[in-house]
Amino acid sequence: MPEARPSAMTNPLARLASANRGRQGLWLVPLVLAVLLAIALTLRTSQFLTSENLLNLVAQAMPLTITAIGQLFVILVGGLDLSVGSVISFTTAVLALGAPGYVLVPAVFLLAALIGLTNGFAVTRLNVHPIIATLAMQYIVLGITRVLRPVAGGTVPDVVIASVSGSFLGLPMPVYWGIVVIILACKLLYGSRFGLHLFAIGGGMAAGTEDAARNFGIATKRNIMLAYVACSCFAALAGVFLAGRIVSGDPNVGLLFELDAITAVAIGGTQLSGGIGSLHGTIIGSVVLALLSNGMNLLNVSPFVQTVIKGGILLFVIGLQSRKKMGL
Amino acid sequence: MASLIEMSNISKSFGGSLAVDRVSLALQPGSVHALMGENGAGKSTLMKILAGVHQPDSGEIFRNGQPIRFANPKEALDNGISTVFQELSLLPNLTIAENMFLGREPTTPSGRVDYRRMNAETRKALADLGLDLSPETLVSELSIAERQFVEIAHGIKADASVFILDEPTAALNSADVEVLNRHIRRLRDEGKAIVYISHRMEEIFQICDTVTVLKDGRLAGTKPLSEVTPASLIALMVGRELQDLFPPRGATAGDVVLQVDDFRIDAKGAPLSIRVCRGEIVALAGLEGQGQQKLLRALVGQFQPFSGTVRLKGEALSMPVPPGAGIRRLQAAGVAFIPEDRKEEGLFLTLPVAHNLAIGLHSRRPGLSLARNYARTIADTIRDLGIKAASPSVAANSLSGGNQQKVLLGRYLATKPEILLIEEPTRGVDVGAKSEIYRLLREFANGGGAVLVLSRETVELIGLCDRIYVMHDNTVVSELPAATATEHDILNAALSA
Repeated sequence: MPEARPSAMTNPLARLASANRGRQGLWLVPLVLAVLLAIALTLRTSQFLTSENLLNLVAQAMPLTITAIGQLFVILVGGLDLSVGSVISFTTAVLALGAPGYVLVPAVFLLAALIGLTNGFAVTRLNVHPIIATLAMQYIVLGITRVLRPVAGGTVPDVVIASVSGSFLGLPMPVYWGIVVIILACKLLYGSRFGLHLFAIGGGMAAGTEDAARNFGIATKRNIMLAYVACSCFAALAGVFLAGRIVSGDPNVGLLFELDAITAVAIGGTQLSGGIGSLHGTIIGSVVLALLSNGMNLLNVSPFVQTVIKGGILLFVIGLQSRKKMGL
Repeated sequence: MASLIEMSNISKSFGGSLAVDRVSLALQPGSVHALMGENGAGKSTLMKILAGVHQPDSGEIFRNGQPIRFANPKEALDNGISTVFQELSLLPNLTIAENMFLGREPTTPSGRVDYRRMNAETRKALADLGLDLSPETLVSELSIAERQFVEIAHGIKADASVFILDEPTAALNSADVEVLNRHIRRLRDEGKAIVYISHRMEEIFQICDTVTVLKDGRLAGTKPLSEVTPASLIALMVGRELQDLFPPRGATAGDVVLQVDDFRIDAKGAPLSIRVCRGEIVALAGLEGQGQQKLLRALVGQFQPFSGTVRLKGEALSMPVPPGAGIRRLQAAGVAFIPEDRKEEGLFLTLPVAHNLAIGLHSRRPGLSLARNYARTIADTIRDLGIKAASPSVAANSLSGGNQQKVLLGRYLATKPEILLIEEPTRGVDVGAKSEIYRLLREFANGGGAVLVLSRETVELIGLCDRIYVMHDNTVVSELPAATATEHDILNAALSA
């Protein structure tokens, strides 16, 4: 029996789909939910299943998906990053400063990495609880953003706009964004030692044996810091995408993104205690949220009611999952 | 023969107490070295030092004559020392292969983790041990025995020359023990040194060549196993004189106030019965984790037993006791429960002594009633128990261990209970405080109270108590009168079961 399947493990994409399912959390529930939503919307509205709406859906879902993937890195090591919404707004504000693209684009990632590094430092070296450390960072970055750009405005470099709104080989740019982001995240999480070490650290945290991963010689603190850096950089990437779509800097564009990102990760079956979760679950979680808002817009549901429904779905999906599935 | 590992004059203390005191130990290649001693004798601490978990305060470790020092278990493993601890050290959410290679994963030229190689090598390592497991199985899906075998395979894979097995058979059934012994013999024949910590005599005599006995953190002796008998080993482990710490025993026992019958701790445990009478101090003795604590905690609802009946002062207690309301309900019936860990489970360390004492009194009254002023009771308790505190308003954590323990005891004595269930009454307190606590407990019993006490310190139980129940494997295996019992008897009863 074991002889039959050694070939499945050769590339990260195959790993993602097979083996150690117990570590991926329960992502089947949100997948079923997403499919049901799509079917219901196809039946109820004529506009849903049009190529125009579907491409629009991809573009709408993209910033949240990117942010949620970043959040996944931090949640896997038992942390949480509340500063990502501010990082998104900050990124758009910096991009709208008027300097050329080849200066601003590297600059936003550098700044995001710095923010992530500070978060990671506070959590691992100063032992500040992740919620407090990143909440503080949320305020700090939001404040700086408002100093830079009190109200929406300015223009972002053409290269940013072109990377989001154009099309290439007949496919609109957001599709390529999706492909690149997924390959990048897949490589980091499933194709590198870094990803495996994140799972190991989170697994130890969730099992109450924080030292377990360290005992294997893993640099626990450094890896947790890097998870926060990755999270911030993904948020900056989402910020670049949004800046290209709104063509300006906006201090409020990232508002509440951190909560939506955590919602998407949680709906995707990732456990907030760490060590259990998956990339595809997170993507599915983001798609569920995007389908919900897209569908309800098509059905003319008021945005206030949409929020109520979003909360209900979160509670429902998490309630269905047994939170003590793994280990002890 | 040259030693593979030599530990020389190792000392290690935690807080104020010396866990390991100038112990030396030499491990020969191709031998199985038994490490024995009572609970808390320092066996595990000594091995954790060798495994890099703890760093010694003083003393040196030599490997093939070269001094070595480990900052963490990874360094120890890199130096060829592999450990199978009692507690979990594998990561449950990773596969066997990932655990095997964690921290030194092979990568492909493109920087990817080389899962194909990891799985192939793990499959081979598992097959070498005769294990029919897929390398892609998550560790959380393995049994305890399988996890231990995986840890051994981990050590073999890392090319370790020293294997430390800390009570490896505690959770194994006899078939798995046989398999384990086979692996140990094979490792020995390959010239590895094995340290084997166990309480089971027969295993020691089956598999070991040399035995080292620790006693109170000190070396009691190292001998070839051919020169010792089980009786002489036990003598070596006990060999201590009873100090004059204990108050005289009470006169006679009164009527039965706590009666436990047909009590089964879990589905596999044999039914047990115990009783405690007025004026009596009764002990639960035995090796660690043989069900003593589960039995005690089941009475207050902190553990859900399989079945059994409990009668308090002749009245049946409805079982199981609910975990939420259990302690309060028992308190209303005159039963006080004093948990083992005063820092984690007992005291509110940052609150004043007065609050800590009065909380037991407050908790007996209805939820929304106004708090009463217990200043007089508090002052009386502090005086009666001889608690040394600058004032009742100083925080509990500013007191010494012995005084903290007395505060905890005082909290429950102030509620005037009839039955006292107490775990580890003198854990981490000095000799003077010990003797005072013994006196307080005896006074309580002489005043008509009944005490059920659990302790790891056998000497304490013999000196303090009237009767001793020895537990093994979740049931009572022996009942001894404390006046004539010896440590030897108790250890014998606990081991021979």
